[in-house]
Amino acid sequence: MKVLSKAKLETVLNTLNENTEVFVPMQKGVQSGYFTWKSFENGKDELMLDVLNVYHSPKNVVLPQTEKMYGIKSKGVEVNIDKTYEDNHPTLIFGARGCDVKGILAMDDVFLTRGYEDSFYKARRSNNIIIANACYNPGPNCFCNAMEVNPVDPVGADVIIRDAGDVYIWEAKSEKGEAITAQIASLLEEKDAKSPESKPFKQNVDYTGVAEKLKGMFEHPFWNKISEPCSNCGMCTYVCPSCYCFDIQVKMWGDEGYRFRAWDSCMYEEYSREAGGGNPRGAGKERFRNRFLHKLEFYKERYGTPLCTGCGRCIVVCPNDINIVKIIDAVKEAE
Amino acid sequence: MSDHKCTCSEQPLVPTVVEVIDIIDRTPDVKSFFVRNVDGNGVPFQVAPGQCAMISHLPIGESMISCTWQEEQEHLEFAIKRVGLMTDELHQIEVGQKIGVRGPYGNGFPTEACKGKDMVFIAGGIGLAPLRSFIKYCFKHREDYGKITILYGSRSKADLCFKEEILDLWPKEPNTEVFVTIDNAEAEWDGHVGFVPSYLEELNPSSNGAIAVVCGPPIMIKFVLQSLEKMGYNDEQVITTLEMRMKCGIGKCGRCNIGSEFICLDGPVYYLKQLRDLPPEW
Amino acid sequence: MKEITNKIQEIATRLFNEGKADVFLAWEKQGEDYQVKPYFARSIDDVKNIVFNEYSIHNLSNALLKLRDGHEKIGIVVKGCDSRGIVRLLEDLQIKRDRLYIVGVSCPGMKDPLVAGRNKSGFNKIQEEEGLAKKCQDCIQPNPVIYDELVGSEQAAKLQGERFAKIKAIENMTADERYKFFEDTLSTCIRCYACRQVCVACNCRTCIFDEMKPQWVGRENNATDNMMYHIVKASHMAGRCIECGECERVCPVNIPLMLINQKLIKDVNEFFGPYEAGMQYIEGAKPAMSMYKEKDPDNFL
Repeated sequence: MKVLSKAKLETVLNTLNENTEVFVPMQKGVQSGYFTWKSFENGKDELMLDVLNVYHSPKNVVLPQTEKMYGIKSKGVEVNIDKTYEDNHPTLIFGARGCDVKGILAMDDVFLTRGYEDSFYKARRSNNIIIANACYNPGPNCFCNAMEVNPVDPVGADVIIRDAGDVYIWEAKSEKGEAITAQIASLLEEKDAKSPESKPFKQNVDYTGVAEKLKGMFEHPFWNKISEPCSNCGMCTYVCPSCYCFDIQVKMWGDEGYRFRAWDSCMYEEYSREAGGGNPRGAGKERFRNRFLHKLEFYKERYGTPLCTGCGRCIVVCPNDINIVKIIDAVKEAE
Repeated sequence: MSDHKCTCSEQPLVPTVVEVIDIIDRTPDVKSFFVRNVDGNGVPFQVAPGQCAMISHLPIGESMISCTWQEEQEHLEFAIKRVGLMTDELHQIEVGQKIGVRGPYGNGFPTEACKGKDMVFIAGGIGLAPLRSFIKYCFKHREDYGKITILYGSRSKADLCFKEEILDLWPKEPNTEVFVTIDNAEAEWDGHVGFVPSYLEELNPSSNGAIAVVCGPPIMIKFVLQSLEKMGYNDEQVITTLEMRMKCGIGKCGRCNIGSEFICLDGPVYYLKQLRDLPPEW
Repeated sequence: MKEITNKIQEIATRLFNEGKADVFLAWEKQGEDYQVKPYFARSIDDVKNIVFNEYSIHNLSNALLKLRDGHEKIGIVVKGCDSRGIVRLLEDLQIKRDRLYIVGVSCPGMKDPLVAGRNKSGFNKIQEEEGLAKKCQDCIQPNPVIYDELVGSEQAAKLQGERFAKIKAIENMTADERYKFFEDTLSTCIRCYACRQVCVACNCRTCIFDEMKPQWVGRENNATDNMMYHIVKASHMAGRCIECGECERVCPVNIPLMLINQKLIKDVNEFFGPYEAGMQYIEGAKPAMSMYKEKDPDNFL
């Protein structure tokens, strides 16, 4: 089997970085997320490939926080769309965990299917390669196995690397993966190595039947109690690898400007606020309920798989200790 | 959940620039805008009755507006009410202004499935605009539909949209009755005074072989649906069109969902039977 | 801490029995010690879930904003900094005093449940310090300033050394250095608005950043819009910030928000003071930035 010696990791990243923009999980100063390998500063930053995960997911590689859509020139009655900003420069996510890969696949379902293909997402994703980092040691908040994710063999990855001590076992899974492997073939070796053993999950989450049960629970009183601590701050949506809702707005300076889209959060009051002032989800409880139903029921109904990928990030960052696992348990126990 | 055949370009979020060729004042806060391709030839896309398009006053923003169907689609017509940021600015433009459109979006009315039925159209305020597409389609294919009853109500006489059609043209069509009401009595109005749901129950159009199509403010829809139930209309005989805040118009940005349906893509037209399946967020 | 929990449960039971409270705001624990969250007890049966431990760091006066439009009688447990938040809400006429039964707890200093959670999550390569929460290390007001009933013995302030030392260090930078410092820090902001949501002083019904007609600050995540957001928010906090430090604690990218807020606290005190927001409740008193006095400094005009 092909292996990559850890001593050669930096060389590999540098080689790959010559043709594509490589993103790696990094501790950059006080922040933890996916940053470009080019921005890595020795001594200040740290690669986090041997840690469970980083706080911010790699979704910003295919769906950036802000991205320009098209330029506008407007003078009097004349209006012109002079250019569109589709960005298909090659990108590579190195070391994504199964939960994060599933998040990107979920976004593929949304942006590339059902009649319309979002041209901006398509441009980014068509030249995007994912090298997944197989996960053998689940954390205390992990439950990807209950959410249709296989942490040691994630679907959708172009290459899977497995941490076997001083080497990574390197397995290409797709055509794009084979192409990348060929690029760095000289840095790989043929050797036998043993994958680590999977440690058991620290919590037992059973998602079976939850989506079906939730269908009849829209008006259930348990939403009142469970949504009370939520302050609608929106942090869960920002760190979630599969939250994709966006806002479209315009920025003009006099006659010129552009339309752009930015991450939005269903937790904010003005998310569904209509022009006339009406708001079908004006109360915090209604937005809270909408978010969890989207993750656990609506997406499954529409695309066949839950939107939550079991990464556990929302549980760690929520200032008021709201826990999606506890909500799943409450749903199962409710009458 | 339907699969879409979109007639727009490969970049569904980028509008096409068109020219405003005419603007007609309908009420103090509703104007009809007529647009055509910039080169003067035709329109960027054809619409079926009930479909909508994203109108872009480019420097300001976008809104999803119902597009009126016409037989010869030489221009696109939009009846737009002034409610918010973009529509405010749009009401101040003049003929010759270039704006952006993209579409057509939405599933449109089930014109085929309604053939042979008696049609009861119930509208309130600006809600007459989407129904007007279906009504015009029925008049154009008159033999395909049975008796047509139109009930329209608005806040006041000045707020009645499409006055020429409701007061003059439509009542003259064969086998057609038009009933108009306003909320409060007024000096120069000798027509009916009262709210749409109660007027509907008074008129009591038979539910036998009929389809009711409802559009208006959410509170009116709610009461009309209750009245229709009392009058014997079952869930497969009632159609309505919903609205939610929309940004992308193509089912991607997430905000217009009711349950797992996106109103911009799978709707906005729904049979009441389908709505019973969705969470009551409308 | 166990005695304080028992005392609070006793008070809550008494309030529910006497009909003096319809809802009692405290904390509940679900799981480990650090898995503590704000809790809305609504009946005697809920009282047994109330806890007060060293992770009860949340500022419950922020939860009052959810209840401001109702009529229910509210019991609420507050620590030193939190109680200043209640004074602020009373001064801003956001809630009526007679609806509240305030249980003040003299605070010995709290630990940060977010830090404990992160250390156990497996996401940290290096474990974070788990002692006294960062915001509690500079505490100047551990004892509640307003209460109907007081629990716990008086606590000493924790602040060591000069109060505004870090602020003075930044003031001594050159204008360019200062600009670069803030541009670097604020450009990492992801505009999640968590700082706004947890802030007691942020009590506008429609926040300026949610307004569309006109839109004051763009939605883009670049240095300009980020800095505008933080500068506008900070200006709105002038004379209102109670130094509870929740904004900095919850920030997912660790922006040192208290530096900006403390600078404004120092300035408001120097120019318009002496004034510290929410330090004492005098009915009818107005905060410093809500009054005009002839001797207000105007050399910048």
